Amino acid sequence: MSTQVSGAASRRRGLTLTDVLVTVVVSLVLGVVYHLWASVSSVAGLLFVQSDELVYGMWFAASTLAFLLIRKPGVALVAEIAAAHLEIAFGSAYGIQLLLYSVVQGLAAELVFAAFRYRKANAFVAGLAGIAAAAASLLADIYYGYVTEYATWLLVYKYSLRAIGSFVIAGYLMYGLAKLLEKAGVTQSLRPVDRKEYDALDG
Amino acid sequence: MKRFFEPSRRTWLHRANPAVKLALFVLLFVVTMLTHRIDASFYLACVFLLLLFAASGYPIWKTALLASGFALAFASASLTMILFGKGSEIWWSFGPVAISKESFYRGLHLGFRSIAFGCQGLLFVLTTSSTGLFYALMQRLKLSPKYAYSFMASLRLMPMALEELRIRRDALAVRGSGSGSRAGALLRLPERYALPLLAQSIRRAQRTAAAMEVKRFDAGSRRTYYYSSPVTRSDAAALLLLAGATAAALLLAQALPVFNLGDMRMVP
Repeated sequence: MSTQVSGAASRRRGLTLTDVLVTVVVSLVLGVVYHLWASVSSVAGLLFVQSDELVYGMWFAASTLAFLLIRKPGVALVAEIAAAHLEIAFGSAYGIQLLLYSVVQGLAAELVFAAFRYRKANAFVAGLAGIAAAAASLLADIYYGYVTEYATWLLVYKYSLRAIGSFVIAGYLMYGLAKLLEKAGVTQSLRPVDRKEYDALDG
Repeated sequence: MKRFFEPSRRTWLHRANPAVKLALFVLLFVVTMLTHRIDASFYLACVFLLLLFAASGYPIWKTALLASGFALAFASASLTMILFGKGSEIWWSFGPVAISKESFYRGLHLGFRSIAFGCQGLLFVLTTSSTGLFYALMQRLKLSPKYAYSFMASLRLMPMALEELRIRRDALAVRGSGSGSRAGALLRLPERYALPLLAQSIRRAQRTAAAMEVKRFDAGSRRTYYYSSPVTRSDAAALLLLAGATAAALLLAQALPVFNLGDMRMVP
C-alpha cells in the first residue's frame, strides 16, 4: 500500500496535462479580461504621462495567479508563454516579440517562487514575482526600446510606476482573486497533494 | 474572423515547416534588434514591408488593412523617445520636453525598427497555422505533447469563455448592476467578470484535461501524429528568401544611405 502511495505522490510532482491546461486557460481568460479592461482604462489612462504603465502588471498577473492556484514549479513560465500565445493565435503582428518577452518575464517570476522553494504562496511573494517580471521587462526594453537613452527622470518614473503597478496587480489583486476562487471551491482539486494527506488516508 | 484569416494563395512561406520558420523568425528578430544604424533599420522596414505584401498570400487590401496598425506602432515607438530622449544638440525644449537631434533620429530609428518587427511578425502569423506550429514543435523540436495539446485545446475552449463573457455582461445589465460611479465600476470589473469566468473555465479545463489524459494525449515519445510535419525543400527556399531580404536591406544601407548617421545609441 505504502509503495503505491509514494508512486502516486511522485508521479504528481511534475506538471500533468491537467496542470498545463488549467494554467493555459487561466492565462487566456485573464488575457480576455485584460483586453476588456484595457479598452475601458485607456480612456481613464489619459490622466497623466505614462499612466498606462500602472496597468502593465496585468501582463504578469497570469503567472502569479496560476502559481497561487496550482503551486507547482514551471507554472509561472507556462502561464506567461500562454499569454503571448494568445496574441499570436489572434494574429498580432508583435507575437514573436511578445513570446520572447514572455520567456524572460516568466523566468524572472519563476525565479522568485523558486527562491522561496515554491512553499510560500502569499500576496507579498506574488508581488515580488511581479516586480521581478517588471525588472525583466526593463532588461528586454533596454535592448528593444533603448530606454536607457530616455532622460533619467523619465526612466526612473516609468519603471517605478510599472513596478508599483506590478506589485499591486500581480501580488495583491491576484491573491484576492485566488482567495475568491478558493471560496468558490475551484482550487481544492488543483493543488499538489501533501504527504500528510496520504498518511491520513493510511492511518 | 476565421474567414478573414484565410490566405488566397499559398507561398513558399506557407509550405515551410512551422518549427523551422519559427526559428528563422526568432533569428530575424535578433538580427533586427542588433541593428543600431538608422539606415539599416529604414531599409529593413522597407524590404520587409514589400515582402509582407508579396509573400503573405493575402489580397493587397487585407494586408494593407492589417499593416495600417504599423502607423500607430511607429508613433508609439518613436514619440516618447523624440520628446524625452537624451541628446546634446537641442532643437526645441519646453518644460520636461526636450527634442534634440540625437533623440529625434533615435526615435525615427525605433519607429522604423518597430515597423520591421511588425512586418516580420505579421509575415509569420499570416503564413502559419497554430495547429501546424504545435505539430511541428512536437515532431521537430521534441516539445512534450502535454504542452502542445493543452495549448491547442485551450484555443478551442476560448469561444466558450467569450460566450460566457457575453452572457455575464447581459446578466449584469438585466440586473441593473454596474451603475454607480465610473471609477467604482472599473475597479470592480475584475471581481465581476474575472471570478465567474475563471471559475467556469477552470472547471471546464479540468474536465477536458481528465478526458484527454484518459485518451493518452500526454503520452510521451512513442506515439504517432495525425499530421506529419517534415522538413522539405520549401524550408531551404524560405531560408534563402529571408536571408536574401535581410542581406539586401543591409547592403542597401551600405550602398545608398539615406540618413548617413552612425550608431543611434549614446553609449554603444
